[in-house]
Amino acid sequence: MVAIPVLHSAVAIMTPLLLAATGGLFTELSGMLNIALEGLMLLGAFASIVCAHYTGNLFLGILLGIVCTMALSAILGSVTLYLKSNLFITGLATNLFASGLTVVLSFHLFGNKGVVVFKEVAQLPHLKIPALQSIPIFGDIFIGHNVFVYLSWSLVLISAWVLYRTPFGFRVRAAGLHEKTLVSLGMRPQRYRFIAFLISGFSCALGGAVLSLNLGAFVPNMTSGKGWIALVVIFLGQKKPVGLLFAALIFGFADAFSNYAQGAWNVPTDFILALPYIFTLLAMIGFSIYTSHKDRVE
Amino acid sequence: MNKKRQPFSTFLRGSLGIFVIIAIALAVIVILSFLLSKTPLRTLRYFFLGPLQNRYYFGNMLNTAIPLIFGGLGFSLAMRAGSFNLGGEGQLYSGAFVATISALFLAQWGVFGVILALFLGSVVGGLIAGLSGVLKMRWNTNELITTFLVSYAVVLVVNYLIAGPFLDTETNLIATKKIPENFRFLHILKPSNLSIGILFALLAIILVHLYLYKTKSGYELIMVGLNPRFARYGGIRTSWYRVWPMFLSGAFFGLGGGMTIFGTYYACMKDFSVGMGWNGLAVALIARYRPAAIIPAALFFAYIESGARNAMMHSDVTFEIASIVQSVVFFLVTSTVLQQIGVKKRGL
Repeated sequence: MVAIPVLHSAVAIMTPLLLAATGGLFTELSGMLNIALEGLMLLGAFASIVCAHYTGNLFLGILLGIVCTMALSAILGSVTLYLKSNLFITGLATNLFASGLTVVLSFHLFGNKGVVVFKEVAQLPHLKIPALQSIPIFGDIFIGHNVFVYLSWSLVLISAWVLYRTPFGFRVRAAGLHEKTLVSLGMRPQRYRFIAFLISGFSCALGGAVLSLNLGAFVPNMTSGKGWIALVVIFLGQKKPVGLLFAALIFGFADAFSNYAQGAWNVPTDFILALPYIFTLLAMIGFSIYTSHKDRVE
Repeated sequence: MNKKRQPFSTFLRGSLGIFVIIAIALAVIVILSFLLSKTPLRTLRYFFLGPLQNRYYFGNMLNTAIPLIFGGLGFSLAMRAGSFNLGGEGQLYSGAFVATISALFLAQWGVFGVILALFLGSVVGGLIAGLSGVLKMRWNTNELITTFLVSYAVVLVVNYLIAGPFLDTETNLIATKKIPENFRFLHILKPSNLSIGILFALLAIILVHLYLYKTKSGYELIMVGLNPRFARYGGIRTSWYRVWPMFLSGAFFGLGGGMTIFGTYYACMKDFSVGMGWNGLAVALIARYRPAAIIPAALFFAYIESGARNAMMHSDVTFEIASIVQSVVFFLVTSTVLQQIGVKKRGL
């Protein structure tokens, strides 16, 4: 059976996508198309492993990585909301800034613009529960991943609760649905949007951290479009937390399958690398056909 | 006299914002040099004066501006029609690749071969972008995301083609064969790389300007961009203007790619165009999608890039500081708050 190992790695591969998409969901619901997820993830990947390297502590590294990434998302948020710039352009700026800054710092700190390997940074702890692992199929697919996998699932649940059960979540969604309502209630939509940006920075930092820490290395532009795919995950997940889980799993599966195909059928690497984008594109087209039909019926 | 001076001073005041943004960007270069370089003054000197110090560097700077101008025109055309074309990277790269391969096959055709090869390259770029336009028209698929995704996939496919079937095995580079000698653009301002491609770029600016402001189609394109619903009620075929400007946009990116090969590189090297598409987009943003303003915007960007390249060669910083400076410009360039600096509010 090849399906089980492929599904196992699909669950691992979907994690960074799911993390970034969860944070991006907040900005999306607050009415902001956040194309900066890519850059935020990249900075998160770089900052967390570099900080883990210098502090010698994995947890502290991740924490500092989160701080750095949230700082960038705060810049993005304040330039967009308070200097009133075009969100789309500032999003691109964030991506460009992150890809430039990571290379410049990596050159400055390690004298190397390519792959930087951190041998002494500890591995991510993995969840090992022999009792659950022995369950056939379920145990093989869902147990034994690194802790970020389970963290991402809990964040999805938490964000569902925050968005649909707390006043804060209602206000974030109101900022996207009908800004004037918030204003008439004496609240500032910009403030909720700003917090949504911070949340997206937080979750993208985690999404980036899992990429670099899992590999034990930083590769220039290692996010390679994952932030954009996370954005598509939000659309495909119908902007609902649980929808994100399924959408992210589809992409994880596509990626895992193409990795498998590369080994099994000897397809050129570049085609394998292109597959996730083509797959994302097809999913995007399928989704828009579906919604345009739905709109017509309604 | 007074009447004549009035508009100029309002123009100056209106542009104050853009100068503030450029000043901030230049300040960032200074700060970065002091933070990252052991010899900050040396770095700064090469950054700011390097591109202007002699004919060689100056010509190369102008040469850098060529793809930026084509890209800037490409992104502006889509943007004027209200569509985002984020796929410049892939369109430029594939246009360059197709132009190169066509040139290899059309070696005997002389001048017509050059024209046909560039045409084919730009058509391929146009078709790739046009696909997103069709999707947008047919099912309202977000073109911002589809152009990006298609571009990413196209870059990888071209990478495969260069490194696989079309690899020139006689060199150590990952590149195609070199185009025939008689296909290469004439160089001006020797010994620099500047080719007559710069004249074609200027010609393209004039043509786009005339198209947008002097033709019916250009007028309709701008109308659709300003207000699609109003344009539709006015009898304009809005669905056509979801596809056509996208095609044109991609075609300009593709043409820019072909021009860069014919003028500078002669062979399509793997990853030669990384960043050119995005920079073209940045140029369009600074120029606010006005063809005439693309010239100074492209020169500014080319200046920053050449400066960074110079500083890298002669000092201890890396080329990527250019992208930090560019991103600062990006962050601020659309800020309405900054644009309002110096614009007096009447009646207050």
